[in-house]
Amino acid sequence: MTVAALSTKPVRRRPRWRTNTTLTLGIALTVGFVAIALVSMLYLPHNPNVPRIQDRLLPAGSPNYLLGTDVLGRDILSQLMVGARTSLMVGAGGALISLLIGTVAGLSAAAFGRWADEGISRGADIMLSIPGMVTALVLAATIGSGALTTILALTAFFTPSFTRVIRSAALSVLQEDFITAARLYGRPTWFILVRHVLPNIAGVMIVQFTLYFAAGILTEAGLSYLGVGVNRPSISWGMMLNEAQQQVGISSPLAMWPGLAIVIVVLGLNLLGDGLRDVLDPKLARRSS
Amino acid sequence: MPVYIARKLAFFLLAVFAASIAIFLLIRGAGGNVAAVILGKDATAEAINALAQQYGLDRPLMVQYVDWIGKLIQGDLGRSFRTNEKVTDLVVSRLSISIPLCVSGLLLGLLIAIPAGTYSALHSDKPLGALIALLSQVGIAVPVFWAGILLSLLFGVKLGWLPTGGWTNWDVSLWGAVRSLVLPVISLGLILGASLTRYVRSAVLDVMNQDYVRTARATGMTRMQALLQVGLRNAALPIATVVGLQIAELIGGTVIIETVFSLPGLSRMILANVSAREVIVVQSTVMLIIIFVMFINLIVDLLYGVLDPRVRLT
Repeated sequence: MTVAALSTKPVRRRPRWRTNTTLTLGIALTVGFVAIALVSMLYLPHNPNVPRIQDRLLPAGSPNYLLGTDVLGRDILSQLMVGARTSLMVGAGGALISLLIGTVAGLSAAAFGRWADEGISRGADIMLSIPGMVTALVLAATIGSGALTTILALTAFFTPSFTRVIRSAALSVLQEDFITAARLYGRPTWFILVRHVLPNIAGVMIVQFTLYFAAGILTEAGLSYLGVGVNRPSISWGMMLNEAQQQVGISSPLAMWPGLAIVIVVLGLNLLGDGLRDVLDPKLARRSS
Repeated sequence: MPVYIARKLAFFLLAVFAASIAIFLLIRGAGGNVAAVILGKDATAEAINALAQQYGLDRPLMVQYVDWIGKLIQGDLGRSFRTNEKVTDLVVSRLSISIPLCVSGLLLGLLIAIPAGTYSALHSDKPLGALIALLSQVGIAVPVFWAGILLSLLFGVKLGWLPTGGWTNWDVSLWGAVRSLVLPVISLGLILGASLTRYVRSAVLDVMNQDYVRTARATGMTRMQALLQVGLRNAALPIATVVGLQIAELIGGTVIIETVFSLPGLSRMILANVSAREVIVVQSTVMLIIIFVMFINLIVDLLYGVLDPRVRLT
């Protein structure tokens, strides 16, 4: 064995070119996704909810219908575009609300002493062991299904994870010398949290938000597939897959597009999250490279 | 160790208690008049009151909760309002589908993830290692129900090898039951395997960069020997945690997969009873699932204590 093989290698980091590819691809896919969702508010090729029986089950590439039509003659491209909007709203909404609640809870657990920490952390543990799908089913049963219920279910599902991550990130910042300095200077705890801790954990927050955004899109699709998520006239990719499976036994082109859309968007967000983590949060990147 | 076990056990009981209150309040608190919903729009006030009285739905929530949880502890899950069947009987027949599905899915996931993740960590600079990492990244983005739909399109519709859905009971035909479970298990296992691969990979990468592995290598061990003899036990810790956390995910996946392949399992029963407002059935079944998940997490915690002596002390 050579000496070189034994030399202490620095902790293995992702090669820079790979970080760049990950980040670039992630940004490209995510920007494309958000752009399509925004365009869908201004322009749609067809009304996605109006059936045109004479145009039913057209293949992709038909004149007027770029990706074809479903069994009722509704334009698939328009449905996919509205679906992007739903994914954006529900996924980002769920992730954002969880992030806000999780930040407040995580910071409180880190800064306000042992009992606050015990209470909040154990509460988060308990919530984590309730399967998110089960919560969503129960919520759909009690308050009815819909986009808002789905966001609520995602919030119940993601908040404990956010709380944990924010808590541990905040704890490590709170050990720094400049925090002690601020304390000695007489700054109140809330001021230290807002002024010193928050900016230092912003990277972690952005990365986590991106990853849970992706998870939110997956969960929303699953719930809508089960029929307890988004309903028409709103359109979700998961709902389209459910319809594809029900309407014609299984019709292969119809079952393709929404699934592909989900994979591309979720992959894009996950890549974006990983790329951002390498840039913003070297400590975490080391662990999961 | 006894103190560690006692502490984990106490937390388990506390967690089950807290979750039971949360589920009860969620289902009952937001539900309105249960008896009225069950009997439908045309029911008279007398009929509603009679039903409410028969099942004790008119009592204060607190009393109903104590009654429910007391019976639950003794193994009595209550009865269905409509059919008067025992929830226990309903659940047991469904479990013969859901448990094999869930457990085989998890096993398949681990069977994929442990070799694939280890290989791709040890050979991250080779094409196959990179390919595994890429596949796992893509697999994480695939919704489990889409994987199920695609598999049933390929093996059910196109090739006709396996049923696209439906269920043949174990006592009718053992082979038929296995055949109806093959595609659901593969869908669950593949998707779970993709995300577990990523965790196994990063756990192994992490361990291989540690000083003790370098020392082991310095004594002349190959990378594989070093991993097996000193690395694996250390890598097992984060993997065990992740598997514990994935149980909740796995249950969510099982719910969806049972729908994709029209398997009459536990989750389909919950879905049906949710819309029929069979509160007792939903409440008790959901509680069973939560207890199951918490129990698995308890086992993982205890395993953690066995694997890593440091954990017991903190």
